[in-house]
Amino acid sequence: MSPGEIHGLIGENGAGKTTLARILGGLAAPDSGKVRIGGRAVELSGARQARALGVAMVHQHFSLVPSFTGLENIALLDPGAWNRRGAAARGYRERVEARARELRLAVELDQPVGGLGVGARQRIEVLKALMPDPRVLLLDEPTAVLAPQEVDGLLAVLRRVADAGGAVVLVAHKLDEVLAVATRVTVLRRGRRVLTTEVASTSAPQLAEAMVGSKVAGPATSSRWRGAPLEATPVARLAGVHARRDGRQALRGVALEVRRGEIVGIAGVDGNGQRTLAAVLAGVQRPDEGEAELPPEVGWIPQDRTEEGLVGGFTITENVALALHGRSALRSGPWLDWRGVGEAALGVMREMEVQAEGAEMAAGALSGGNQQRVVVGREFLRSGSFLVAESPTRGLDVKAAAAVRARIRELAAGGDEAPGIVLISTDLDEVLELADRTLVLVRGRLVEMAPGDRTHRAIGRAMLGADRAGGDDW
Amino acid sequence: MRRSPEIVRGLLVAVVGLAVTAVVAAALLALGGHSPGATFAALIAGAFGSWDRFVSFTLVRATPLLFTGLAVALAFRAHVWNIGAEGQLYAGALAGVAVALLLPTSAPLLLLPITLVAAAAAGALWAAGPAAMRTRFGVGEVITTLLLNFVALFLAQFLVQGPLQEPRRIFNQTDSIPEAAHLPALLPGTRLHVGFALAVAVALALWLYLARTPGGLRLRTVGASPRAARVSGRFRATPVVWAAFLTSGAIAGLAGWVQIAGVTHRMYEGLSPGWGYTAIAVALLARLNPLAVVVTAIVFGALSAGGGAMQRDAGVPEAWVRGIEALVILAVLATDRCWQLLAARGEGG
Repeated sequence: MSPGEIHGLIGENGAGKTTLARILGGLAAPDSGKVRIGGRAVELSGARQARALGVAMVHQHFSLVPSFTGLENIALLDPGAWNRRGAAARGYRERVEARARELRLAVELDQPVGGLGVGARQRIEVLKALMPDPRVLLLDEPTAVLAPQEVDGLLAVLRRVADAGGAVVLVAHKLDEVLAVATRVTVLRRGRRVLTTEVASTSAPQLAEAMVGSKVAGPATSSRWRGAPLEATPVARLAGVHARRDGRQALRGVALEVRRGEIVGIAGVDGNGQRTLAAVLAGVQRPDEGEAELPPEVGWIPQDRTEEGLVGGFTITENVALALHGRSALRSGPWLDWRGVGEAALGVMREMEVQAEGAEMAAGALSGGNQQRVVVGREFLRSGSFLVAESPTRGLDVKAAAAVRARIRELAAGGDEAPGIVLISTDLDEVLELADRTLVLVRGRLVEMAPGDRTHRAIGRAMLGADRAGGDDW
Repeated sequence: MRRSPEIVRGLLVAVVGLAVTAVVAAALLALGGHSPGATFAALIAGAFGSWDRFVSFTLVRATPLLFTGLAVALAFRAHVWNIGAEGQLYAGALAGVAVALLLPTSAPLLLLPITLVAAAAAGALWAAGPAAMRTRFGVGEVITTLLLNFVALFLAQFLVQGPLQEPRRIFNQTDSIPEAAHLPALLPGTRLHVGFALAVAVALALWLYLARTPGGLRLRTVGASPRAARVSGRFRATPVVWAAFLTSGAIAGLAGWVQIAGVTHRMYEGLSPGWGYTAIAVALLARLNPLAVVVTAIVFGALSAGGGAMQRDAGVPEAWVRGIEALVILAVLATDRCWQLLAARGEGG
């Protein structure tokens, strides 16, 4: 990177963008390799040192103290804000205001930031990072929470920083923003750099293809559907479903039918309604409008295993009991049949080859891969007719991810007894590998891909229509 | 489902914590010009000196702490931060006294159960407001339950000075409750009443509920992670939160009425010396385990019973006992933390 450059860093979820940014920001150490700043190899041991070397970072999740005012937050980490006795330096406020004017950043300095909107908070975050006049400004997905006009404002500020000789690294997964502001761009895919190029000599389709890869989908792998016709009656059906999340419209007229023995893949960029769709399909959220016909029991592998799929302080047995505690076969009188649940837990562990000291081990002490095996095995217990798998391999290493995919494929291949499966994933390779048919979730709408369009390029284009959708994460 | 190492660890932490307390308290007493030996001797004699001291003083004083401690432990297990056991205790006491004085019956088999139900219902009602505010509007129960303590306290003061005051109108207290509403003695010849057994039964029931029933699993899940409750457990947290509030309030309500029906036989101003607050320490020291609450409540009961003896026999002001209570809490928490750090280092190295 050179002074005056705006470098876009793009890639899908899990491609390694944030990790790379954290290494440059001093928040993570590389296993191997070197960071050079100003021609000198440096070992960054923390954010403070990175700041001292002129690297400032704006985080994906804000790092502001909600009860402090904007000025207090900006002063917090700026050595220039304090005199030798630790009191506020004279004229600091004027300097902050001058810098804000220079960058044309409209910041509110006197309100507690907790009461400000996200856009206003982010402007403070940006000004805070820019106060010491850093050589490198890192922004990790800064536009994810902003409205379009706010995005334009932020991009303009970045341009001014670069014009003044600063270097900017912009981590993003939205192509058009990168194309609008960056001078060069690097594409990461599964932890590798696949492309670095001048923005002037590239195009959105080329970058999209680099992001998702150019491999064409292999033949659909699952199950009996290949020969035998599917049952006429769907096991789960949504029609005209509208649903909100946190007051925002997350699903807009979704229709979906799932039959036994098929895997329906739903691709899409994060934040286009995936979480809400999963909750509706699992029967946990009722649609505001439209119909949802679901079987009485649904397996649901949630995307967040530590907060939703498991209780870390519970044993494996207790976590299995969470799914089974309503079954009359596992009760005797008022009591839960712990022996029966324990056997079920051991069954899950055997079936999924969970590496643990026993079923009484705390789930939180397991590795991520083993935790996910517990979740998957447990949800299979209630997947007699229908399973929703939501990014089931997120955050897993290659081997654990392959094991989980293999189990899902086996489940779908189970003949007449196989459940219908919906696979919601932001990993396009995963969708194409497992799904019999593919839909794309874009701004709360489901678009079915024609069988001939099951290519990375076609799906990637459909997914990118979603760029400006509001997030619906919890 | 606790495993034995957890119990062993709890016991060791308790023993080491008490030893640390003794050492620090001895040093402070010496600095204050008191003989630590004589003070501890009086304290221990007052609490455990004889069978009667233990039963009639320590266990009797442990009883309201046991009820309120269980109330707090249950609520905290569900991450319901009920700081209002004190107010719920007063609500229960008032309801029990009012029913006992006003209900025209003298059949113990009728009157006692009715008063107990009334006290539990009043405690639950006192917790219902905060429950509604939290589940409907997201208002933190730490504030609402705490503030309602003062409302209950002032309500009690008003009633014992007004509508419920004894007919002679000399003291700020109610008339004696009819004998039919007295809790019978648990051990003949001692002051220990059936209320203690009732409290132990509640502890046992809560423990069984939490460890062995689907409802207990749901409550613990809501306490650990409401999102896991929704996603993995497929149940709504709100009814569980309500149940935790109401049951906790009901148990705290029993504390107040049982104290009257078993010991004082009338309601007066300042019935509770802050049992509802000490209960938080009792519950936390027991790591929110209902069976362990029985032990910690007896420890605090012993400190309370021994404190009087300490003042009388060793001439040490009773206020020292409050200091020792605080030391117990700090020492046990510090010991526990050290234990964790040592265990972590052991695993790491």
